[in-house]
Amino acid sequence: MWAQQARRALLRGPSAHRQVAPDQSAAGGIVPLLQAEAITKHFGNVFAVEDVTFRVGDGEIVAVVGPNGAGKSTLLKMIAGLERPTSGQVRLAGRLVHARVPHQVRRQGISIVMQTPLTFTSMTVLDNATLGAMFGPGHGVLTERRARQRAADSLAFVGLAQRADDPVASLNLHQQRFLELAKALAGGPRLLLLDEVMAGLNETEIAASVQIVRSVRDELGVTILWVEHVMSAVIELAERVIVLNFGKVLAEGTPKAVMRHPEVIDAYLGKAHIA
Amino acid sequence: MKAVILDGIVLGLGFGLLGVGMTLVYGLGGVLNLAYGEVAVLAAIVVAQAMAGGIPTALAAVIGVLAAASTGLLLDLTLMRPVYRQSGGNKVLLGLLLTLGVAFVIEGVLTWRDPLGALSINVAGKPISILGVPLAVGSVWASVIALAAAAALLVFFGATIFGRAVRSVIQDELGARLVGISPALVRAVIFALSGGLAGLVAVTQSMTAPLTVNAGFNLTVTALIVSVVGGLGSVAGAFLAGVLLGIVDSVSAYYIGRYITSIVLLGAAVLTILVWPRGLLGGGQG
Repeated sequence: MWAQQARRALLRGPSAHRQVAPDQSAAGGIVPLLQAEAITKHFGNVFAVEDVTFRVGDGEIVAVVGPNGAGKSTLLKMIAGLERPTSGQVRLAGRLVHARVPHQVRRQGISIVMQTPLTFTSMTVLDNATLGAMFGPGHGVLTERRARQRAADSLAFVGLAQRADDPVASLNLHQQRFLELAKALAGGPRLLLLDEVMAGLNETEIAASVQIVRSVRDELGVTILWVEHVMSAVIELAERVIVLNFGKVLAEGTPKAVMRHPEVIDAYLGKAHIA
Repeated sequence: MKAVILDGIVLGLGFGLLGVGMTLVYGLGGVLNLAYGEVAVLAAIVVAQAMAGGIPTALAAVIGVLAAASTGLLLDLTLMRPVYRQSGGNKVLLGLLLTLGVAFVIEGVLTWRDPLGALSINVAGKPISILGVPLAVGSVWASVIALAAAAALLVFFGATIFGRAVRSVIQDELGARLVGISPALVRAVIFALSGGLAGLVAVTQSMTAPLTVNAGFNLTVTALIVSVVGGLGSVAGAFLAGVLLGIVDSVSAYYIGRYITSIVLLGAAVLTILVWPRGLLGGGQG
């Protein structure tokens, strides 16, 4: 009941665009929500990401997979404003975002949840989520009361309403990641970036995470670009998969198609995976 | 003994106010501002000049505080920008060197232009008895102002949006950036606030004793000790440390001698680092 009210409240808030089915036309050329055009990132002589182009349609869940060091996290960081591309462009709904810094990117409508939770440990769970609500896209700086209400709705959405007044330190890793998700959602993002948020979780926790991520898209209409190693979750959740290897796009398509791709099997999945 | 401790509390409230400005800037930007005391002296001289020019004391004090706040803001927007781009030991060293340079410049200019400059604000009135101990009206006013500032700062950092933003940057700058907070804006505001607090310290200290043009170094060292003992980044810690150190200062001066107080205070800072490396209330706890 509480969770349903929270969903309704978040939908009424500035984050709500619409409840969507995935925009299947994204790959077909209609204006997407996110466009990455030939983005490249060098660290000295090392190419972390090289000439990567892809699109994410409004309401899609797209996973980025690949071996360690393939450039997946660097790609997300460039979209979030944490790294500046050496060349290329990133656009959200047609507007350039890659030249901006993280707080500007966030206010433009892109939130990121990192693998390592970045919680404010001296504050309560609700205070953390309130900070997430204060500076969101479209709604500017909220008043204290509105921000706390929005934060409470986000916590209810991820199932942490009962822990609102607890110190962050009392949460386990799984719960801290849900808190990070609540912080991201409280800001009302259009695009949510998830960076290996299921790493280190057990099967029950992964199943719960899959359910929540799906409801973020299905019920709040938030588009999701998601870097992940947990392939079972990717297969269950993603509509499209982009495979990176040595900083380049190796393959792109539905999870099933990508998993049958010979180069993907060689470079990432291994033959045992499909046996 | 009661009078000695009460004197220590009065002194300590001033110490606390002094420490807050230093501790916030360090907590946010990783900069130990060695020009902090000189900014207070600059404010004192501005107030003294304004009063000499016929401006009422209260208005002159406001002008002095604003001048110090502007100096802090100017520092942040100019010299500190390259410091923030550094990390680790480079950041600390560059911050120390640049603020030390600013301290030399302010002290040099003030000594050149006004070598005998001093600020003394006389608050008229009979001594006020507190717990049976007569206190000078100036001391009472200085304490009341320090307490009011402490209360305002604790409310600001504990219950306002901007206060939470400041605490979030102190605790985890990356996390703060990812929830939409601009660390650069927060640092600029806090550097200005720190300057304003230095100005307020100049005003309150001059209510109990003249603040001379060469007082900057002592003010900086005291601020540094208070912020280390309280926990770098902690407002409540700075005030708690200020009061405790004020009592230690007062008691050691009474029973041993004034000459020993600087050594005792430095000893307290060293002991704190060894026993409680994060200070009495830890860093960034608000």
